[in-house]
Amino acid sequence: MRFPRSSALTLAAGYIALGLAALALFAAPLWYAWRVTIQDGRYEILQSDALRLTDVFRREGAAGLVGYIDNRVGMQIAGERLLLLTDAAMKPMAGNMAAWPQNVPPTPGPYIVKLPMSGHLEDVALVHSTLAGGYHLLVGRDIARYVPLQKRFWYALASAVGILSVVGTLGGILIRRALMTRIHGIRQTVSAIIQGDLSHRLQTQRSGDELNTLSQTINGMLDQIEQLVQGVRNVSNSIAHDLRTPLAELRSRLEELALTRPDSTHTFAQIDAAVADVDRVIGIFNALLRLAEIDSGLRRSGFVPVDLGEIASAAVDFYQPAAELRNARLVLESSGSAPVRGDPVLLAQALGNLIDNSLKYAPEHSTITVAVGKVANQGVEIVVADRGPGIPDAEKPKAIERFYRGDVSRGTPGVGLGLSLVDAVARLHGSELKLEDNQPGLRARMLLSQDNAKLVRPTRTANEEEEKYHHEPVYP
Amino acid sequence: MKVLLVEDNERVTQFVVKGLQEAGHTADHAANGRDGMFLAASEPYDVIVMDRMLPGDIDGLAIIEALRKSGKRTPILILSALAEVDERIKGLRAGGDDYLTKPFAFGELLARLDALTRRAQGENAQTRLEVADLRVDLLTRKVTRGNRGITLQPREFKLLEYLMRHADQVVTRTMLLENVWDYHFDPQTNVVDVHISKLRQKIDADFERPLLRTVRNAGYSLTSHD
Repeated sequence: MRFPRSSALTLAAGYIALGLAALALFAAPLWYAWRVTIQDGRYEILQSDALRLTDVFRREGAAGLVGYIDNRVGMQIAGERLLLLTDAAMKPMAGNMAAWPQNVPPTPGPYIVKLPMSGHLEDVALVHSTLAGGYHLLVGRDIARYVPLQKRFWYALASAVGILSVVGTLGGILIRRALMTRIHGIRQTVSAIIQGDLSHRLQTQRSGDELNTLSQTINGMLDQIEQLVQGVRNVSNSIAHDLRTPLAELRSRLEELALTRPDSTHTFAQIDAAVADVDRVIGIFNALLRLAEIDSGLRRSGFVPVDLGEIASAAVDFYQPAAELRNARLVLESSGSAPVRGDPVLLAQALGNLIDNSLKYAPEHSTITVAVGKVANQGVEIVVADRGPGIPDAEKPKAIERFYRGDVSRGTPGVGLGLSLVDAVARLHGSELKLEDNQPGLRARMLLSQDNAKLVRPTRTANEEEEKYHHEPVYP
Repeated sequence: MKVLLVEDNERVTQFVVKGLQEAGHTADHAANGRDGMFLAASEPYDVIVMDRMLPGDIDGLAIIEALRKSGKRTPILILSALAEVDERIKGLRAGGDDYLTKPFAFGELLARLDALTRRAQGENAQTRLEVADLRVDLLTRKVTRGNRGITLQPREFKLLEYLMRHADQVVTRTMLLENVWDYHFDPQTNVVDVHISKLRQKIDADFERPLLRTVRNAGYSLTSHD
């Protein structure tokens, strides 16, 4: 059986390993301190014992020491303390050891050796000192009584390790279960979405943990996707609808020709009309392809420094005769150069669309104003304002949607892609098209940052926060 | 003029070849890159119409690049369904002289081919342009018709200059947009027509013989012929 690879379990295992390492790091100095203290203390006692015996030897000679030792051994609790006095040839003279232990070197110093004590070998700490006249004195102590303590230390450490592992594993399992429950929920939601129902959303709680934040982000993404899909659906419907009209006309025109077979003059007139129908269809396709091209953001790579003032002046110049023909005034308000980075062709087209749009609805003798001006620390603002019927507030957000045609625009030429294109161009340049009331009329406004190439903005969303963000553009 | 059409779509080929023949030109045709390359390199043509996506392993741009590398200066018009600005730039960088996207009107194609062949013949060094009694001095920027001076605004002057440089040819609205205003997009309403009628007011209105004519389904032509 393979263990399930779970991030929660990996996490728990990691924590356990980390806990164990911490425990080892904690126990090691303790162990060291304990050993050093005990050992040193032990030798100190033995040393002072040895000193006392040396003192007796100095005062009372070898015979006195022998008596003293015999006396001590007699009083002693068996096996606890070891005493041995030998002559220079290591022959025992007094003490509770039968002979000089083989494993104690003849040189003075502290040693730990194994000696047979009450039948079996045990660790014994010894201090070996030499006395004047070649006598050897051995003072020792059985350290076996510390073994239980030592053992208890190890047991405590082992049980700490055990508890840590058990609690860690348990914690890991619990975390995993909690995580799996939530991930399972996410997976179910995502499966539902994969099956095509984009309305599902991940569950979010009020607590702001990481998973929750992630869920919220994913929900935001789903909102965007749903909107885009909805948009695409609407656009496809609109395309189908908008293309159906000219195609239907074309079809009936051709069918009529085939059925009635009129004289050649009439036939050629109908053919010209048919070509015009086809051109309308091609025009719609071209506008859509252009929009798709802009939306893809690829055009951003071709950004160059452009002067919006110049573009505006050329556009006003271009549309001037058309304005005159409609008895409207087209005025440019420009304050010198207005440099931005952008795509000159698209900016010209966007501005052209705005002027064209205004011209379509401008009443006679009214004025259309094209204003280009720098906004301190923000960039360049471009405004096209007319005195036409404007767009009702409720319709303003829709006016930018593809194929949207307001009530006023019925009966005028166009396919309802003009403002979409302006907005797409504005977005490509890190801005957006704002439609305002000119009281009366329409005021279309774009604020282009001088450094807009750095700003990357998504396509339009209805998300409130997104909107707020757009209202207060961040300029680096 | 002698035209080579490199195009794999039969309908488009038939349409273009027939149109060119009716306009009094001769047209050769190659349906794939290999044949196109061979004809373009071996025969003398006034202009080549090149499709970009061709069957076989040689595409239109490769042919153009190869021709330019071998020193052939024949004007080439690229005819392609690839309409993105990047594609257009790619085509012109490869050595194409003009770029027309499919679908196209035959009038547009013919006008552009005319413009390309005239350009190749070279008439740019002129400082005075003349069509009938209409004269334009490019240095002093003076325009006269007969013995009467005509005042034109800078944009009108540029429009007239372009029309006069292409006198007796058909000039389409798109050509005017691209060359006079440098606008590479369709400005929806026919603003070009308005500009033309304003110019017409100034150069033709008071004279018996109109020079600036509208060519049905194609564009305009400045001509002294009837």
